[in-house]
Amino acid sequence: MSLRDVLSPFTAWKHVINDPVTIKDPFSREASDRYRGFHQNDMDKCIGCGSCEEICQNAAIDMVPVEGQNAGPGDSGLRPMIDYGRCCWCALCVDVCMTGSLTMSNEYTWVDSDPDAFRFVPGVDAKSWDLEPKGYQREDERRLTGTVRAPMGETCPEDRIGNFDEIVDGFTAEQAIIEADRCVECGLCVATCPAHMDIPDYISKVRDGDYEGGLQLLYETNPFSQACGRICTHKCETTCAAMHEGDAIAIRWLKRSITDSVPRERYFDLIQKPDVPETGQSVAIIGAGPAGLTTAYDLARKGHQVVVFEALDKPGGMMRYGIPEYRLPYHVLDHEISVIESMGVEIRCNMRVGQEISMDQLKTAYDAVVLSIGLHQGRSTRVPGSEKAEAAIDLLRRITAGEEVPVPEQVAVIGGGNVAMDIARSMARLQKIKHGKVGVTVTALEELDRFLADKEEIEEALEEGCDIFPARGPQEILVDGDTVTGLRTWKVDAIFDAEGRFAPKYDEDDEMVHPAGMVVEAIGQMADISLLGAELTEQLEWNRGRIMIDADGQTSEPWLWAAGDAVSGPDVIHAVADGHRVAVSISRMLTAKREALQ
Amino acid sequence: MRELLYRLKDRYHFGTPTFQRDDLCFVTVKRSELRAILTELRDVEGFTHLTLLTAVDWIEEQQFQLTYMINNREANLTLALRVMLDREDATGDTIHDLWPTAATYQRELREMFGINFPGSPRVDEEFILEGWTDLPPYRRDFDTLAYSQQTYHDRPGRETHDPKTHMQKVLYADYPKGAK
Repeated sequence: MSLRDVLSPFTAWKHVINDPVTIKDPFSREASDRYRGFHQNDMDKCIGCGSCEEICQNAAIDMVPVEGQNAGPGDSGLRPMIDYGRCCWCALCVDVCMTGSLTMSNEYTWVDSDPDAFRFVPGVDAKSWDLEPKGYQREDERRLTGTVRAPMGETCPEDRIGNFDEIVDGFTAEQAIIEADRCVECGLCVATCPAHMDIPDYISKVRDGDYEGGLQLLYETNPFSQACGRICTHKCETTCAAMHEGDAIAIRWLKRSITDSVPRERYFDLIQKPDVPETGQSVAIIGAGPAGLTTAYDLARKGHQVVVFEALDKPGGMMRYGIPEYRLPYHVLDHEISVIESMGVEIRCNMRVGQEISMDQLKTAYDAVVLSIGLHQGRSTRVPGSEKAEAAIDLLRRITAGEEVPVPEQVAVIGGGNVAMDIARSMARLQKIKHGKVGVTVTALEELDRFLADKEEIEEALEEGCDIFPARGPQEILVDGDTVTGLRTWKVDAIFDAEGRFAPKYDEDDEMVHPAGMVVEAIGQMADISLLGAELTEQLEWNRGRIMIDADGQTSEPWLWAAGDAVSGPDVIHAVADGHRVAVSISRMLTAKREALQ
Repeated sequence: MRELLYRLKDRYHFGTPTFQRDDLCFVTVKRSELRAILTELRDVEGFTHLTLLTAVDWIEEQQFQLTYMINNREANLTLALRVMLDREDATGDTIHDLWPTAATYQRELREMFGINFPGSPRVDEEFILEGWTDLPPYRRDFDTLAYSQQTYHDRPGRETHDPKTHMQKVLYADYPKGAK
């Protein structure tokens, strides 16, 4: 033993007058600022997507219904209940949280003799640390799921304005997988989709590269997945969990990537008619749009004979005669409808009910009749000179049918919805082809941010050279002899009165004249119900100008159902949902009828 | 630090260095040269302290990455050397003779990743897991959730709800789901 070993203990005495480095009161010591303690959950932000439960490696989290939180758009109403007997405080749940609602306080000391006390719903079952600002929070820029949408290729404005070619490229396989990978598969979107498509399930098929399985899944809920993959109003994307801290998942484009990835001839192998006996019963469907054809598809697959009567040259309804080709190419629609026909559905075109065949004849010859006639009559502004105006919907139909339409150098469109954008952009294309330049003016009552049209429709119209004048109310269509010369508008001060009724107020001093050789009205459509005839019109029950239907789509007549835009308003996916509903209701009636006869 | 790497690069094979900060750099080296580089850095360049030794499981590439983080206190520089190992073989070279503390890290890696370091003191003894018979738990093919479900009981009365199914029940129970 050296002298140093003997003396060194005494050198410690030199610290006797220093402040101690140990903690005076170790029992009430606060944890460090970013300590991972008991959870906090902000009820205003939590959407009940269950990503926390999904990621938990200890199965410590259950999603449970709680008092005061209701299911609604983009919120399941469920909230995470945590079992602290299993929690290992790893904070993966905080890291994955899609809204940032779930955090951790730095409180971790709690003694209780009841083990069940350690199972509770943070943010609902009040705890002393609920408002504690310290504790673990996800670092601001760190996200486990991607926040940015995979890029989508599009034809540039200069290249697309002179033709009706499709604009959007569709995802490549790589882009689709990157986009699908961002989805946490919570399924909040499914409730928002009118047809309640199995969105997370088909997105996971994209991720696995199983496009054929994905296609079969799409057809279970929507025989118009090709069309919807292109032009759906995609309300699902407004309730996506990913939108809270980034871009919503491009659900519509992922659907399209499935339908585009399966070779067309394979559709007929993958989507086959189920092996069911023929019922010998038959259904007549009036109108070959998405509602009518979805009904037809479902009923044919149940063994009923289905005949669709279509007034126009080709089937498709608004998808063909309303939506321009650059958004939904006709060959896509043709293929989609041929799959429906392969179920044994017969479509008779150029058969206008009320002319070629009457409602009475249908009622007699078929076990049930479905009215899915859409909204093919344009509404008019009824301002002076409006008898000289064109109806957007009529013009769009004529363009599709290949009819010659007048193409003046300057066109004014009244309306701010998607149909207004469709006709503005269609006319712009025709002008470019005929005159080499675009001259389209769009006027609407609403401010630009309140336009009913989709944002991308407005952006693309502007890119293509259309001029948009928001908050302008039409006063007169100016006419010189037989020719239209322009549109006179006033500035709109307010569209609705204090009670919320439509009563536009104008600033008469702010007048503009938009020169135009054609004025197009695109302010809404109505159903052409002349086919019903006076007697049936009288018999049916009505609700504010629309045929009244029950929850199953049945009218007040026991043999007549109604579906689609004419009763539900304009939207393809809504029409598809209507079609499913009506088909189930009719099938139920037909089965009861069969059983009664046996 | 850039100057140091520049000086060494003629004699050793370095990957492209990643500078996290001016005083913190990561660089991949060859396994056969690791020992020589570590020794030279320790004895000639003043990197006297082994800050940590850890691993990453790159299961898709079938490789383990060992990270040797060493520190020069005098110059306040930290250098992390990465060595890639074949995941199948999973054997590294012990450096406990260079830094005695490495033996502890190597024992931990043996237990948590199943990476062996032949010759390292007490490397086969249990470290923190007692009676572990499963896959080493830090390997990415170890299913943590399945393990915890097999190993620990749930409190009685637990019940969870799938958001999609719950919303269907509450919001649209009457909709005919599917055309089947």
